[in-house]
Amino acid sequence: MKKILITFVVSLVIAAFTNAQEMTIKPYQKGDWASILKLADGKPMAIHFWGVTCPPCVKEMPQWGKLISSDKAAKVVFIQVDDVPPEMMRKMLEQAKLGNANNYYIASPFDERLRYEIDPKWRGETPITILIDKAGKKEMMIGSVNFQTVKAWFKKNS
Amino acid sequence: MFKVSFHLISKVLLIGALGLVVFGSVFAQMDHSSHMMGAGSTKPAACIGPGLDCANAATPFLTSDSKLLLAWTSGGKVSVAQSADMGKTFSPPVVVAEHGKSLDTGGDARAQIVSDSKGNVFLTYAFFKDKNWNAQINKVLSGDGGKTFTTPESLVANGSSERFPSMLIHPDNSIFIAWIDKRLIAAAKQGGAPKLGGSIAYSFSNDGGKAFQVERIANEDSCECCRIGASLNPKGQPVIVYRAIFSGGIRDHATQVISSKGSEQIRRISKDEWKTDACPHHGPSIAVSATGAIHTAWFTQGKARSGVFYANSHDQGKTYSTPIRVGKEGANISRPYLLAMGKSVWLVWKEFDGESTLVLMKKSSDDGKTWSPAKLLAQTSEYSDHPLLISRGDEAYLSWLTRADGYQLIKIGQVE
Repeated sequence: MKKILITFVVSLVIAAFTNAQEMTIKPYQKGDWASILKLADGKPMAIHFWGVTCPPCVKEMPQWGKLISSDKAAKVVFIQVDDVPPEMMRKMLEQAKLGNANNYYIASPFDERLRYEIDPKWRGETPITILIDKAGKKEMMIGSVNFQTVKAWFKKNS
Repeated sequence: MFKVSFHLISKVLLIGALGLVVFGSVFAQMDHSSHMMGAGSTKPAACIGPGLDCANAATPFLTSDSKLLLAWTSGGKVSVAQSADMGKTFSPPVVVAEHGKSLDTGGDARAQIVSDSKGNVFLTYAFFKDKNWNAQINKVLSGDGGKTFTTPESLVANGSSERFPSMLIHPDNSIFIAWIDKRLIAAAKQGGAPKLGGSIAYSFSNDGGKAFQVERIANEDSCECCRIGASLNPKGQPVIVYRAIFSGGIRDHATQVISSKGSEQIRRISKDEWKTDACPHHGPSIAVSATGAIHTAWFTQGKARSGVFYANSHDQGKTYSTPIRVGKEGANISRPYLLAMGKSVWLVWKEFDGESTLVLMKKSSDDGKTWSPAKLLAQTSEYSDHPLLISRGDEAYLSWLTRADGYQLIKIGQVE
């Protein structure tokens, strides 16, 4: 009886922490862009859109992990665009050492309606990175980034 | 005494644990709701069922006796239904495959379906077969006009990764299939010289899809995430268009004729100079007219030009006309699609104006020399699939799946 009860309690505690941990990847949908921009809070910010099924994205993610760990002040938001199970997103983020980063996933169709408010010229290419300076000026980079350029941009704009 | 203490400790532990669970859930909900509040919007319920109403992509095929076969992917399933009244009503759908979240439903993915003159139906689709997101193309056959289907099986034996099947059926009932194949990319990685991209592979079947010839590679270097366009020329040869990778990592478009001897020369359509390693998820379209003129349309973000463009070739792809912009410059134009019959050519595309998604059309009656002004064919306010074109006799139809307005098959003209 005692063993059963302890096992039950332990599993409940594990379930509680697992449940809380799952929410580190937040949903993003059409209409949310303004709230993402507010995260900048007067500082320069990079928003990186990536997909689990996009080979160049997957290749690049560990380098984003390195950037985050080497420059703690760099504000970066990651948004995953593919319709895949959350555990696959988590696995890839953990491998890239981005488990504790500011992570989102697209929770509605990844279509022109969702992308338009982000940038009307974006047709869905991934990866893309949008750099937004303190004045709100945007710069979109399609494809893998040059991390020296990104680091220099953060330094110059901070 | 011990019993009392144990029960007491147990109760405290249990209440504490339940509290944590509740806290965890509340924390989760708070995170969710605060996000919603921040967004100032209400989240619509996700459309997750297997029906056509929740489909992300629907592919039509019209049989010679005007029966519409429609294949779609939704809720992790691949389904097929038939319509005897050109899409107004459908038979109960048949689920032919189920892969859950492993089903490939990316921006350029769609099930492919063809039917021969004997009523055999052949369908292909891709799904992710392992945790490294390697994909596999499965084939499914029906010998009774689409009422029942075989168990899905792999198109390619011992493949590394295959995605984006594109199919044609010849009047002699042979089937052509092309796809993005990653065997050479996998080999390059194993050989210590990894590279991005994929290859264009193809094969033919002369028995309704039961068996295929050994696959061949048409181009070793292509984009890995854009579907291939295909059309038959007057000789009955497939002509394919795809986003190739040229020297220096330039991802511009090319066409190739697939003859009985194999793939012919790679013909570059234009020098858009899009140097990128990104996944555009935006493949090109092709239609070959009765004169053999090749009509193509594509999307690029190149240094030389950016947007959606059209060009044609009257010499089997040796030379192409100067690209013409499709839609207004600066507008959000995407997903061009072409159909050619006789010397008539139809070009449709999507435009998003910030509120609605429109499907617009231009028509040429002289093999692409001159074009009509753009005409609005349909619009919708929610999610929509790519606009596709099919023919019945000498009539042209727009096939368009929309979330808010359902599936539509609209007659848009006929050969003049």
